[in-house]
Amino acid sequence: MTSPMLDVSLHERRRDRRMQDLQYRAAYEQAARELAQTDAVIRQLDSLRADLGISKAELARRVNRNASSVRRLFTASQVRPELPLIAALADALGAELRVVPRSTEARRAVREHGRPRRVADAG
Amino acid sequence: MPPRDRGQRRPPGPPGQDANEQLPWALVYYQAPDGTVPALEFLDDCPGTVDAQFTAVLDAVAAAPPPRFSGGGKWEAMHGTMGGWYEIRLTGPGREQLRLFCLLENGTSDELARRGLRPAIAVITGMRKPWRTVFSERDYQRVRELGREHQQNYPRRIAT
Repeated sequence: MTSPMLDVSLHERRRDRRMQDLQYRAAYEQAARELAQTDAVIRQLDSLRADLGISKAELARRVNRNASSVRRLFTASQVRPELPLIAALADALGAELRVVPRSTEARRAVREHGRPRRVADAG
Repeated sequence: MPPRDRGQRRPPGPPGQDANEQLPWALVYYQAPDGTVPALEFLDDCPGTVDAQFTAVLDAVAAAPPPRFSGGGKWEAMHGTMGGWYEIRLTGPGREQLRLFCLLENGTSDELARRGLRPAIAVITGMRKPWRTVFSERDYQRVRELGREHQQNYPRRIAT
């Protein structure tokens, strides 16, 4: 039996309302940036692994970890990915980790405002 | 701010799902029979910055649902008696540990239609505990009971 489609807009409405608070917005945007960066690193490692045709189990063996720890890393089954493991995986995949400073303007905004400046702030 | 567009990634789901599969998953909040919404009560009770972080994680997951999103270090598939559940794990002021418990709403088009949903993340409830303590099995049992109650409803009973 088909049910009428429910209104699922509450989350967005609540978020948009809370975003009016600048402190809330700053915390949201910071968290979103951190999540995106962490996710991108893990996705990139998994993509490199796939491109090289290396199984997760084989990759785990190359960094002296058990297969489950590498599998968990790539499948949202583990929080707080360890930097040493990430670095080891990158090395095993012929890659390296780098910290890339953002633009001069973004760094200036961090110095002056304690956070990167959003486009909407720039005007 | 809307969830980020993650480009070519597609939500997982049974083959033949309709155009909904191109959309980010919905985020819905379980509503108890007495009208309370445990997850929203929990979020409203969190410091604003923690609420904002939970919301950012939810949006990131909804934009690229499991298994595409690696979790970003905050979203974790649970195991054991909580198998099938996902939790968002955050640390608040004073190292307080805050957890938000979620279920995935996915399935065939017919099944989703019965629930009245497109693919969604159902946010069920949250819990908090001091640093270096653990939740009891009874705590988890309460979470599971809410989840069971949620999953018995056709259509789902959600906060609107």
